[in-house]
Formats: sequence, structure tokens, C-alpha cells
Amino acid sequence: MKDIAVLVKASLNPEIVRQGSDGRFDIDYTPLKISDIDRNALEEAARLKGLLGGKVYAISVLSWGPVRARDKDVKLAVQEALAKAADEAYLIEEEEILPTDQAIVASAIAALMKSKGLRPAIVLAGEASVDESTSQVPARVAAKLGYSFVGHVNKIIEVKGDKVVVERDVEEYTEILEVPLPLVISVTQSINEPKPPTLIQIRMASKKPLHVLSAKDIGFTSRPARSIEEMKVVTTSRKQLIIEEANVEKAVEKLLELLHKEGVLR
Amino acid sequence: MIMVVSQAPEDVGELLAVARKLGEPFVLAFQTSAEKVDEVAAYGHKVFRLRSDRPEALFSAANRLYGELRPQLILGPSTKNVRDGLALLAGLHDLPLASEVTQVSDEGSYVRYSRGFMSERVIMTAKVPKPAVLLLKQKAVEPVGKGGKGEVVEVSSEQQGVKLLERRPKQFSGVRIEDAEVVIGVGRGFKSKEDIQLAFELAKALGGQVGATRPIATDLKWLPEDVWIGISGKRIAPKLYFAIGVSGAPQHMAGVSDAKVIVAINKDKAAPIFKYADYGIVGDLYKTLPVLIAKLKRQ
Ligand SMILES: Cc1cc2nc3c(=O)[nH]c(=O)nc-3n(C[C@H](O)[C@H](O)[C@H](O)COP(=O)(O)OP(=O)(O)OC[C@H]3O[C@@H](n4cnc5c(N)ncnc54)[C@H](O)[C@@H]3O)c2cc1C
Ligand SMILES: Nc1ncnc2c1ncn2[C@@H]1O[C@H](COP(=O)(O)O)[C@@H](O)[C@H]1O
Repeated sequence: MKDIAVLVKASLNPEIVRQGSDGRFDIDYTPLKISDIDRNALEEAARLKGLLGGKVYAISVLSWGPVRARDKDVKLAVQEALAKAADEAYLIEEEEILPTDQAIVASAIAALMKSKGLRPAIVLAGEASVDESTSQVPARVAAKLGYSFVGHVNKIIEVKGDKVVVERDVEEYTEILEVPLPLVISVTQSINEPKPPTLIQIRMASKKPLHVLSAKDIGFTSRPARSIEEMKVVTTSRKQLIIEEANVEKAVEKLLELLHKEGVLR
Repeated sequence: MIMVVSQAPEDVGELLAVARKLGEPFVLAFQTSAEKVDEVAAYGHKVFRLRSDRPEALFSAANRLYGELRPQLILGPSTKNVRDGLALLAGLHDLPLASEVTQVSDEGSYVRYSRGFMSERVIMTAKVPKPAVLLLKQKAVEPVGKGGKGEVVEVSSEQQGVKLLERRPKQFSGVRIEDAEVVIGVGRGFKSKEDIQLAFELAKALGGQVGATRPIATDLKWLPEDVWIGISGKRIAPKLYFAIGVSGAPQHMAGVSDAKVIVAINKDKAAPIFKYADYGIVGDLYKTLPVLIAKLKRQ
């Protein structure tokens, strides 16, 4: 029996970037959503669970504050994890570490595992979060736990004994690796096609244990080292001249006329 | 001291341009071929040569040099192998790490950097204490030129548990869409690989090249990965970008934000792409493209 942990981040949604009057990113009005690739990690956890026979834990550290305003969004992400794959979830909500940095997130995850006695054989994570996209939390967690690490995994081919065979994606090549357990794996979007949870799964999720913890609860005292000084929205304004015309000939003629005026046609 | 991790001779000029402003650089050459190591040494700094291209080996070697030489900053390119190797190092020592960094400045015991955030729709500027790991975005700074001949010494790495069983090189097209004046972007609105012929015909009529969204290049493999556009693919700046059957996800649009004119063809009026386009046709690509191609050919 081997347990699995899945790292799930509630990320700021990059589809909704609002600009304050001063050109700054209006972070308070940007909702959090489950980081896209973590859905692939959850799908993979659901698949492996049957093979390994152990429990699945979801772990999430709230990254953006204030806790009061973000509580609903982050719990929605964790509920999705419970619905898809997890038997139990741990959510760290701590005002003192907000906004987090990646070192703090990894330390908090390691501290949580230690204090709760979680010893998963495999930790699954996304290869990059959708807000920060730094691809570092999974490797950091591995280093802190003393686990093996393999990033950018396209396929978990086989779990045999205390080894896992995976396909890893790099820019110039793909490679097949054999890696010993315990192991942290970050997955790509190509690994599977995540299906949304079914209604039954969603209903079941509300009955599963969700532990909301503070830093004190896991014996954690560090503070983030990073201080964010500025977040400026990159403005590109486009003309947004959209042709809605049932007659295709006319629509195309209109477009060509506009492009001629722009001087972008040969 | 600054530790510069070079994966290829092409990245070291940019890394050194930043490193020299911040301190005294030495290089950890993370690659196997001797010629490449010589090219890196031709920049005039001491080079530690690691005879492996595995991230675990990079972690082990970088950790050794970190312990012995105590660099205040560690710089590298934002490639997957370097990210993985140095994120392990950062994790072990709780060092701050940022990737895709575009600007770096020295603040005494701190370092300030800027990087894209939220699919590059926001630029974040942050300050972290040294020592720190900063991975630069490609082509963000002007590279320095070669000069001098650095000493090359070997650095070993401990054997880690990961065993390489097989490596398969990717097939690339060799088409440089980043140099094209017109790019036709193919999205999942295309229903089969054969249908992409329509995009090639349009590209031909406009004198352009064909690019793709991530799922077309990676999941479906209908086009090679070197024409994949976006935050994790190529960034292009053509005169004209045609997004066809492309929904307009922020990760894709990050790759085309410098296009002069963006045109979208999408059958869904509510698709986000129309907010990022200059001109658009709400319509089925299978009906629109043949008419567009025919009219362009006639002109
Ligand atoms: C961390 C991260 C990094 C990523 N990096 C990248 C990246 O670098 N590049 C990238 O492209 N993506 C990237 N993605 C994926 C991205 O989020 C989107 O999933 C992807 O861009 C969607 O591709 P698409 O537009 O081809 O497909 P879809 O989103 O499925 O859109 C298809 C569109 O085609 C339209 N359509 C369907 N049929 C027709 C028709 N007959 N005629 C006209 N229109 C039609 C639909 O209305 C729809 O809008 C990344 C994601 C993450 C999480
Ligand atoms: N705050 C967090 N809580 C839980 N998991 C996280 C958190 N941040 C990052 N992760 C995991 O690490 C992956 C990569 O994130 P990043 O290193 O930020 O690109 C994500 O896809 C998650 O699986």
C-alpha cells in the first residue's frame, strides 16, 4: 500500500487581469482558481490510486491574502481535489505568510507532512502554476523531504516495486527514466485529459475530512523572504473590430478591406 | 562571487552580461561536449566542467560549488534541466529562486529583479536577500562578446538514484516562425491534421509561416514543437498574426503580444481571442478560410 499526496494550488486567474487607475495590477479583485495543471496531477492520482491501493492526500497552501477574502476560492479548489481523487485534504491558511514565496510554500508543505506523519510514496504536482509559473515548488519539496525528483513528466509508464518508470519532456528530447521511490513528480498537461468531477463525486467530497491549519498547528515559524515591490499591468490595446456577418463572402471582403487599410497585406 | 550555470555556449553571453555587473563570475558548464566547454571558456572566466547533462548531476555539482565558493548569486537560463537542478539546490538551502527574469539590479545584501507574472500580463518587481538563484529569460539582455581564455577544471557529481533508460530526440521543422512577417496560428478549432492544409494555403497566399497552440504541437503532435507559440513556446512579433480556431488563452497570447496586427477567426463569438484581436470574423473556419484563400489568390 502506497499513499499519494497531490499538491494543489489556488492560483490567481490569469484570464482576469484588472488594472487599477494607477496602472497597477488590482490583485484584490482577481479571483483564485485551481491551477490548471494541478487538474492533470489529480487525474493521475485518481488513476494511480487503484494501482497502489493507498490513500490520497491533497495539500494546499493559501498563497494570496487576505485569508478572509480568499477562503472561499481556495476551499473550492480543495473540494475539487477531494471530489476527483483525494480521501483527505490539508489546507494551510496563515495570514503571517501572505503573500507567500515558493520557499515558504515548500517549507510549509514539508512541515505539514512531518507534523501529521504523512509519508506518501509519490507526491504529484503540476509542472508550473498558472499565476507564478516558476516550476520550483515540486523540486523544493523533494529536496526538503529527501525524496527523488523528476519534473515535466508526460507519462507514468509503470510502478514496479520501489521504482517508477516515467517519460520526461525536455525542450530538445523526451527521455525514459527509472526513478526510486519515494518520489516527487511534476506532470505536464499532456499526461492525461482531466475530466471534471461527477455530481456524485462532488457530493461525496463534502463528507471527506478537510483540515484547515494555521502555521502554529504545524509548528512552522518562518516568514517569506521575498518582498513584492510592484505589479504593473502590461497594456496592449487592440482595435477589437469584430465582423459578424452571415454572408461569408461579405465578411471576408470586409476583413480584406480593413487589412489593406492597415497596410499589412503584400 | 557569482555562479553562472551555462547549458549551451549560446546562453553564456547573456548570463555574463548580468553577472559581470553584480560581481566576479565563474561558470559551471552543464553539458558534455568538450568543444562547447571551450566555447564557454572563451569568455575568459574560470569554467567548472560537469560531464553530464542530467538535472540531478547539476544539483549535486552546483551544491558542491555552492558549499566551497559561497557565491552570492547563482544565474542560469530558464531551461527545464537548469530549472529542475537549481530548484533542488534552492529547496535544500531555502534560497529564493525566480525564473524568466528580465531585469536584475544589485541592492547590497539584496537583489531586485523583474519578471512576467500572470502569463506575462503583469510585470512583478521583487526584492530578495542574497544568496539567491535567478534564471534569466532568453534574449532579455544584450550578450557580452568573447575574450580571453578561462581555465577549465572538472567538477564531479554524486550518482543519484535516477537511471536514464532511453532518449528520443524531437522532430523539428526548422522553420523559424520568429522571423516570419506573417504567421498563421493553428488552434484546436481544426478537426484533423489533414485540415491544417488550409492554414498552409493561407500562409502561402500571404507569404507567411504556420504556427500552433500548445495542444496542437504537444498533445496532438499535428505540428512540430518548434512552431509552438506562447509562454512556454516561441514568442513572435510578426506584422500580421492570424489566430484561427484559437481560443485566446493568456498563455498563448503571451507569445503574440508584440504582433502589429492580430486577426481572429473563431466560430464562438464569446471566445476570449476577440478581446485580444484587432480584427475578427465570427465564423466557421471551414467556411471562411476557403473564401479568404480564393480571394487572396485572385488579388
Ligand atoms: C502553465 C501553462 C502554460 C501554457 N503554455 C501555453 C503556450 O505556450 N502556448 C499555448 O498555445 N498554450 C499554452 N497553454 C495552454 C492554454 O492554456 C490553452 O489550453 C491552449 O492555448 C488552448 O489551445 P487552443 O486555442 O488551440 O484550443 P481551445 O482552447 O480548445 O480552443 C479552440 C477554439 O477553436 C474554436 N473553434 C472550434 N471549431 C471551430 C471552427 N470550426 N471554426 C472556427 N473556430 C472553431 C473554439 O470556439 C475555440 O475557441 C498553457 C497552459 C498552462 C496552464
Ligand atoms: N501554494 C501551493 N500549495 C500547494 N501546491 C503548490 C503551491 N504552489 C505550488 N504548488 C504546486 O507546485 C506546482 C508548481 O508550481 P510553481 O512552482 O509555482 O510553478 C503547482 O502546480 C502545484 O502542484
